[in-house]
Amino acid sequence: MIPSTAQVMPRPGKMVSVRDLKFTYEGGVEALRGVNLDIHEGEMLAIVGGNGSGKTTFAKILNGLLRPPSGSVVVDGKNASSMTVAELAKTVGYAFQNPDHQLFSSTVEDEVRFGPRNLGYPEAEVARMAGQAMDAMRLGAIRGLPPLSLRLSDRRRISIASVIAMDPKVLILDEPTTGLDAAETKNLMESVSMLNREGRTIVLITHDMRLVAEYAHRVVVMSNGRVLLDSDVSGAFSDLALLRQSSLEPPPVTLLAHGLSDHGIPKDIISPQELALRLLMLRGERQ
Amino acid sequence: MSSGGEGEGGGSPAAPRNPAKFVSPKTVALYGILTALTTAVTMVLVVPFPPTRGFFNLGDAMVFFSALTFGMRAGAICGGIGSAIADVLLGFGYFAPITLVAKGSEGLVAGAIGRIKAGAPAAKLLGVAAGSLCMVSTYFFSEWVLYGIGPAIAEVPVNVAQVLIGGSIGILLSVPVSNLLRTAGRPHQER
Amino acid sequence: MTVFVDLYTDADTFLHRLDPRVKIVAVVLLSLLALIIGNLVHLLVLLAFVLLLLALGRATLSKTVFALKFVFRIMVMIVVLWPIFDPSGTPVLAELGPVKITEPAIWKGVAMAVRVCCLATVWYILMFTTSQRDLVRGLVKLGLRFDFGLALAIALRFIPTFGVTVESITDAQRARGLELDKGAPLRRSKNYVAVLVPTIVSALRTADMLSLALQSRAYGARPDRTYLRDLKMRWTDALALAVVVTIFAIPAIAKYLLDASL
Repeated sequence: MIPSTAQVMPRPGKMVSVRDLKFTYEGGVEALRGVNLDIHEGEMLAIVGGNGSGKTTFAKILNGLLRPPSGSVVVDGKNASSMTVAELAKTVGYAFQNPDHQLFSSTVEDEVRFGPRNLGYPEAEVARMAGQAMDAMRLGAIRGLPPLSLRLSDRRRISIASVIAMDPKVLILDEPTTGLDAAETKNLMESVSMLNREGRTIVLITHDMRLVAEYAHRVVVMSNGRVLLDSDVSGAFSDLALLRQSSLEPPPVTLLAHGLSDHGIPKDIISPQELALRLLMLRGERQ
Repeated sequence: MSSGGEGEGGGSPAAPRNPAKFVSPKTVALYGILTALTTAVTMVLVVPFPPTRGFFNLGDAMVFFSALTFGMRAGAICGGIGSAIADVLLGFGYFAPITLVAKGSEGLVAGAIGRIKAGAPAAKLLGVAAGSLCMVSTYFFSEWVLYGIGPAIAEVPVNVAQVLIGGSIGILLSVPVSNLLRTAGRPHQER
Repeated sequence: MTVFVDLYTDADTFLHRLDPRVKIVAVVLLSLLALIIGNLVHLLVLLAFVLLLLALGRATLSKTVFALKFVFRIMVMIVVLWPIFDPSGTPVLAELGPVKITEPAIWKGVAMAVRVCCLATVWYILMFTTSQRDLVRGLVKLGLRFDFGLALAIALRFIPTFGVTVESITDAQRARGLELDKGAPLRRSKNYVAVLVPTIVSALRTADMLSLALQSRAYGARPDRTYLRDLKMRWTDALALAVVVTIFAIPAIAKYLLDASL
């Protein structure tokens, strides 16, 4: 599959605008040390970085779970610091890393309805929103089953559905593919891509660089509470030293391209197809 | 997780040979975890309550939950010890023995009555009410001796409100978790 | 959250080195002593002794303040309420309808508050200077069944973990628009179900894994366990025990055998 980078160009317009954001936890840990970042409407942005780089803190500030002492956060034209978490939930949805931290209902359908119900929508509207979310995450067949007895990949889909049921303009996914096998990952990410194509802004927090290579439009590398790099995907992968500084490793295909750079292979390759194409071209040139 | 979780040897046919006559590893793990959970919930989940500007903790919800779901033994041990540890860590160490009796009897009685007729709603209500009575009266008489009648009386409405909240949540909790234990056998394991 | 999940502070004082069994016995005896004596001056002496021990155990100020914060509120409540409910004694200082405020009752209230302060602080001699591992070991050596001791150790180990889990789950549900402190009492209780069910399920999963871990390490394989570090009473421990027993016994004998009023 050719990476989606070229296919879908994000529409202009700032969905999230963050300026000089700092955050220090109670124990004195400085999680964010001045972050500036714009997230555009309709893009799929990956935030990558080692453990403790500030990714999750950043995400929790975007949906109001943490209150920044300094800096400004504007979400969809509104100042996030003056909104409650529940108000922000209509704009920024956050699916936690561990789906089991969100699931408690006796059926999948009830679980997905929980969010819109909290936001005070009338029951008919709640049913419609939940129905759409379950369709988007392909949960129709299991809508009557108890979520907690289902497999991990299903639980993760339910937890994402329960967030998109509130119809947020921005969807933050925290490590959505941890613990999933290759097929489950592909299925899940296809559903997510579909949401993105329908116009939803997606923020993907992950360590998985292959996921980034395959699905993201733009990469933000965080390290030690700062944005180290903000670029398109292939640009991010061409700077090995910088990635390693952030405890990250590009996908194997990019490493291979780096190794072959003396032979005229560019360093910014992110998909096996692209590498194969380059190698074929190289052979053509030699002959 | 044994759905009964009750008694020596855990009652599970799959339990390993146990020559030392200790309770089964399942029971040790379950009781340890339920105790920790009771302590953590008591310490972390405090409910602001506007009428009195006071705070209630949800520890009683865990005591009732343990008792109604896993039986009177779990209710007494985990509820009593878990709440007593919370007392120690919150700075009421001297109160821990009293709490051990108050919450232990609360769990014991709620578990003994609340699981009659496979935990029929009426049994649960009665069990929670009787357990609550044990807790409120134990604290009342202990505080009477320790603090005098004034503070003891002042504490009664606080404790009553606490068991009302804890009891209703405990019953609400026991239903979905019991269902989960019954239908799924156990929560799905990560593969 | 300013809650200490472990009150122990590492240091090398004689209280830290003392056998945990001796400390447990000392706390029980000193608590009983505080209950036996009712005289304000005697209680103040006992309180001074306990505070001296705390200082010798190098109790950190922040933990001591935290520990006494709640107790102080109760002490104030006792001092204020005791005279209102205790009409005994003379001289009567004030009378308002059925309420009679007398001077002895005021002093009695103060004495009761000091007693509660003694009872509260004496615990910290044990808690500040004994690690959880030593505490459990001491209890087992004092006769607590080994399997219950193990369950207790497991509980102590997982309290901080579950504290974090509860907070994380609360966040996860708030992100779904849950507002915990909104609505009528019953509605509010239901709100907490959304937090407690995931908490319980995740805890029970932990219990499952833990039980497998116990089995795989041959828990219960033989009744006569050996220990890597056994507790041994040294002469200093014996001496400390003797001192504490004496401190307890003299007032106790004076009160119950010699019928002195204390």
